Amino acid sequence: MKARWKGKASEAKASADPMSKIVSQLQSSLIDTGTCGLLSSCSVLIEVDDELADLLNRACFGRPRITAQKDKQWFQLDMEETFYLCFSLKCLKVIGEDVSTKSNEELWEYFKSKKPVFPISYKAYSHLRHKNWVVRLGLQYGVDFVAYHHHPALVHSKYAVLALPEGDNDLNGRLRVWSDVHCTVRLCGSVAKTLLIVIVNSNGLGSNSPSCLEHYTVEERTITRWNPEQSREDQRGLQNQTKEGII
Amino acid sequence: MTLEDSSLQNQTSADDSSSPVSASPPPLPPLFSSSAATVVITMDSEDWESCSDNEVYLEDRNEDDDEEDCYSSGSVSSLQFRKDISKARWIDDLAMAEVVEKKGKMWVTMGIVRNGNTYCSIEETLFLVEIGALHVLDGNDIHLSLKELYEKLSDGKSGCDWELFEVYRHLKSLGYVVGRHGVPWSVKGQKIKSGTCSLESSQESNELLEPEQENKNSIMELFDNMQITEVAPAFHVYLPNSKFRKSSPGDPSFILCMSRGGPPSRVEIEAVERKHGAIPLKFCHVENGRVSFFSFAKVELPVLP
Repeated sequence: MKARWKGKASEAKASADPMSKIVSQLQSSLIDTGTCGLLSSCSVLIEVDDELADLLNRACFGRPRITAQKDKQWFQLDMEETFYLCFSLKCLKVIGEDVSTKSNEELWEYFKSKKPVFPISYKAYSHLRHKNWVVRLGLQYGVDFVAYHHHPALVHSKYAVLALPEGDNDLNGRLRVWSDVHCTVRLCGSVAKTLLIVIVNSNGLGSNSPSCLEHYTVEERTITRWNPEQSREDQRGLQNQTKEGII
Repeated sequence: MTLEDSSLQNQTSADDSSSPVSASPPPLPPLFSSSAATVVITMDSEDWESCSDNEVYLEDRNEDDDEEDCYSSGSVSSLQFRKDISKARWIDDLAMAEVVEKKGKMWVTMGIVRNGNTYCSIEETLFLVEIGALHVLDGNDIHLSLKELYEKLSDGKSGCDWELFEVYRHLKSLGYVVGRHGVPWSVKGQKIKSGTCSLESSQESNELLEPEQENKNSIMELFDNMQITEVAPAFHVYLPNSKFRKSSPGDPSFILCMSRGGPPSRVEIEAVERKHGAIPLKFCHVENGRVSFFSFAKVELPVLP
């Protein structure tokens, strides 16, 4: 299954404008402007100028808020996006309810308190982002994330992603029963995505500090249904199935 | 249990009125309405490689249709008439049947060969008896009914059980070549061992055998332990292939693993993968006659520009 580009020009457009470049532009622009986010429950709000708004849109971080304010625009970041910008790209500061800047450790604790599975979902998010995949929340498809080759305006998301912790302390709770496997694979198939599970092993390090993250290991697997009725005579069909995760 | 019970019930009444040799074999569900040799599957011939966006969706719809068919076709199709019926003798010590009279082409892809003789596992025996292609006798030349063979399947000595048989039948009825994991198709100059079935010939095969025996000890325990996942390689599956030879079967297309109780965990998948190197694995889930196959393939997403 190849990347499903939206229209003929999209692929060329994407390769002329690689995501890694857009994200590093966003990174330096956020640093230059000294942008601060405002922590509000599970979201972080940032106020940006037109140039940053454009970069956020193109890099697919946050969702723009439509406001009557003319000169500046507001963006709403989710927890994974925020932590990626703060901790991995070191280009964002977040101000908490007490008007002081939150350290990465404080943010980490805060996000964990809001979402116990945060260490795992963040590792999966950052793992894919580091490979320059565009990652967005996947709730509307019943999964944790969806992963795109490039901006969603240019390409359909290829993977529906579930972030699963290795071992028994499975806070995510997904795919533990066959009915859920059937359900998830079927849903992904009907929206032409491949189910990707990102298995995060904390290697017994716990999650006391975000510095644990670099020692977490990650394994990627695709789950696909094999249809014996459709694969009888097609050698390639079978091979395609097993190689489906590879582009 | 209810599934087995009701099947037994059906078959008993059918057997009373007609022997497998008769021209009107017992009615069977549509899945095994045709023999492996004659089955014709209407297939979508679309080239997977050249799928456009729309076709991706189309395929999914086809898949749905397929499933609808399986669900809704309540009509019971009948089997074709067979005049070529092979004969085999059930050997309790082996929990296998020794073929004494071969008729038809199915023996190219069925039965294991030991010392010039062909032996059928319980799943092969049952599959052939169900489609009316095999007549099975016991040691005293008395005909074994389908009921008696179903009982042999459920007594746990054969290393197979109802779910495994359903998987076997599903793939066989589509023309796949299916052999037991850990049991070579043919071994030159080696006699079949008695004691238990030939699965003994490989240590790995005990994975298939042992859980069954344990489970049989206590049915209640089986139900209590439903949540415990057991993952074991069960079958070697080859795509339908007229050139298949038991003497040189080659690597299977994939090894089929049964995952009971729940989906396999990463650790379980990896344990089986490590053992079997490059041969792909598929995992199978059977529930109430519904057989589904999944692959949990390890991938590595590329680093994009």
